[in-house]
Amino acid sequence: MNILTLQFLLEIVFGTIVLLHITKKNVGAALAYGLQSLAITAILFGYFFETSNLSLLFIALLVLIVKVILAPVFFIKLIQKHELTFSVSTLISQIKTLIIIAVLTFFAHSQKFAPLTGIFPANQVLLSLAFSAMLLSLFLLINRKGALSQIIGILSLENSIVAFTIFAGLERSPALQLGIIFNIFIWLIIAIVFVSMIYKHFGSLDITTMNKLKD
Amino acid sequence: MEILFIITTLIITALISLLIKRRGVIEFFSVIASFIVLFESIVVALKVSASGVYSPFVFFSIDSLGAIVMLIIACVGLATTIYSIPYLRQETAKDIIGFTRVRQYFVLLNLFLAAMFLAITANNPIFAWISIEATTLSTAFLISFYNKPSAIEGAWKYLIINSVGLLLGFFGTLLYFTSVNSSGENGFVSWQSLAANATHLDPVLAKIAFIFVLIGYGTKVGLAPMHTWLPDAHSKAPAPISALLSGVLLNVAFVVVIRFKIITDAGIGQHFSQTLLIVFGLFSIIIAALINFTQKNYKRLLAYHSIENMGIATLGFGFGGLGVLGAILHIIYHAIVKSALFLSAGTIFLKYSSTRIAKVKGTFIALPITGILFLIGFFIITGTPPFGMFITKLLILSVGIKTYPVISITALLFAVLLFIGFFHHATAMTFGGKPDEIKTGEESIWLIIPPLALIGIVVILSFYMPSFLSTLIKDGVLHYQ
Repeated sequence: MNILTLQFLLEIVFGTIVLLHITKKNVGAALAYGLQSLAITAILFGYFFETSNLSLLFIALLVLIVKVILAPVFFIKLIQKHELTFSVSTLISQIKTLIIIAVLTFFAHSQKFAPLTGIFPANQVLLSLAFSAMLLSLFLLINRKGALSQIIGILSLENSIVAFTIFAGLERSPALQLGIIFNIFIWLIIAIVFVSMIYKHFGSLDITTMNKLKD
Repeated sequence: MEILFIITTLIITALISLLIKRRGVIEFFSVIASFIVLFESIVVALKVSASGVYSPFVFFSIDSLGAIVMLIIACVGLATTIYSIPYLRQETAKDIIGFTRVRQYFVLLNLFLAAMFLAITANNPIFAWISIEATTLSTAFLISFYNKPSAIEGAWKYLIINSVGLLLGFFGTLLYFTSVNSSGENGFVSWQSLAANATHLDPVLAKIAFIFVLIGYGTKVGLAPMHTWLPDAHSKAPAPISALLSGVLLNVAFVVVIRFKIITDAGIGQHFSQTLLIVFGLFSIIIAALINFTQKNYKRLLAYHSIENMGIATLGFGFGGLGVLGAILHIIYHAIVKSALFLSAGTIFLKYSSTRIAKVKGTFIALPITGILFLIGFFIITGTPPFGMFITKLLILSVGIKTYPVISITALLFAVLLFIGFFHHATAMTFGGKPDEIKTGEESIWLIIPPLALIGIVVILSFYMPSFLSTLIKDGVLHYQ
């Protein structure tokens, strides 16, 4: 896979995180995450075609099933079940959010992080972009008030780390990758169950309404 | 073989709890499994004390510190399993929970124990990460066990904050992999190969990696300022689970941090990691001491005290030298006595039906034995002489006073402040007359024996250390200082 294709796929990952920051609808967020995961899967498939490593194909297929198909389906079913059309707003305004996104992206591309993004010098641009995606995912978690957005934020962070490790050449054994995907799958189910419980008890997914612990 | 046997035993017990519909059978198998696990853990500890490192398979490796934590998991695991039986029976009698909840409890408890054993024995850092993440997943529903809004809120905070923390820890872990050629080991990178290749780490990258690991796993340890989930989660879980969370789980994550410290030190020297550990350790002590005074809930009080104690242990590893000896001993004493305190707190909760300090008066009269146990536990954990935690605190601070006098004196002042705050709350709960509606007398002998045994172990270990444990501690100090 040539560098331009990889950069395009990584830009999709980055773009979907920006979209997650500004989207007003939960379905939009769920689909954005699905698209983001599809880009990660495409990168994994690309590496499979290059290396012909069958275990990589197996991992890519699992990622496709768990992150591209199951996760968005779970989210959309949850949205439909509780009629959660609109996502809960952000803590700061959209203009300020976009400014912070720009600052974080600039920060990730700065020389300060050159030792990090220079792990694999040939992929420095890609690693900077993946690191930006990580920072934006963290910011998404802080800025969004909705429980569903927080789940998607964590999964986005995980996707960004996966992208970073691929481009940094930090490959792991197939058995461990399998363990990680299984972990994410269980995490996803538990998080979705919790979202339903939050809605049942608080009548909203707005985490700022959760204030029963003030004793 | 023993490790596989431990994991298999716990998973089979979880399956039995899931499939069998008779409460007595579930309880019986859980207790038997805990005894087996303790026996096997002692066997492993003896092997480690004899040979230094025990690695029966490529996937597992236990060093001296790992063996100590294994013993803690097994010991506290047995006490909490035995305690859980009368505790949950009392809650069932009060119509707080039904059989389905009890079954769910024992399934998750056994999975939680299995995940902790896997995390501490895993020979691969990613495998350890997966296991620690599994502890989060298995305990999330135990924290929300009572299905109340506050419990759901506590569990959600726990799930989200720990998941983010662990993802950062995961990222830091992967950065260490830059020093090794993973393809040469079929992608399986052990702790030993990371340590052996530490000198190949880029120094700046090693620093970044350790920061990520410390923040990531430090979240699970409960180090300030990443501690915010801890008091909420530990106070909302059933008392036996709080005992395991506070007494054991924090140490499992802490050992992972210390293992990465050793790798970092081998690459770039001790100064960087020690400075960070001192900063986070001191900050944890200060935060816990300041918040301690305003606490209205005794389970939260104990949880904040865990933050302080993990801060002291972190400070010990930060100071190095004999401070490491103090820190390892501190971990052992804290784990056992904190578990005993949470179990006693559970008995107090069953009696008073409240976790608010203002509503608990005269435990000496209402619960004569538990009241005494709680007070002894308080004296031990606050570092009152002649108990072991007095020696460990003294050891850590006396090491620190030579090289970091300001930090050591600050830590001492805040530890004293915490003692005063805790003493104020503990005496308010213990002495005075009990409310009229509260009957005098212990609820069950089986609610007394587990915390009594744990307190007994701490008292004995304060004055006498078995030779195999002494060897493990010495090896741990040599390896991790």
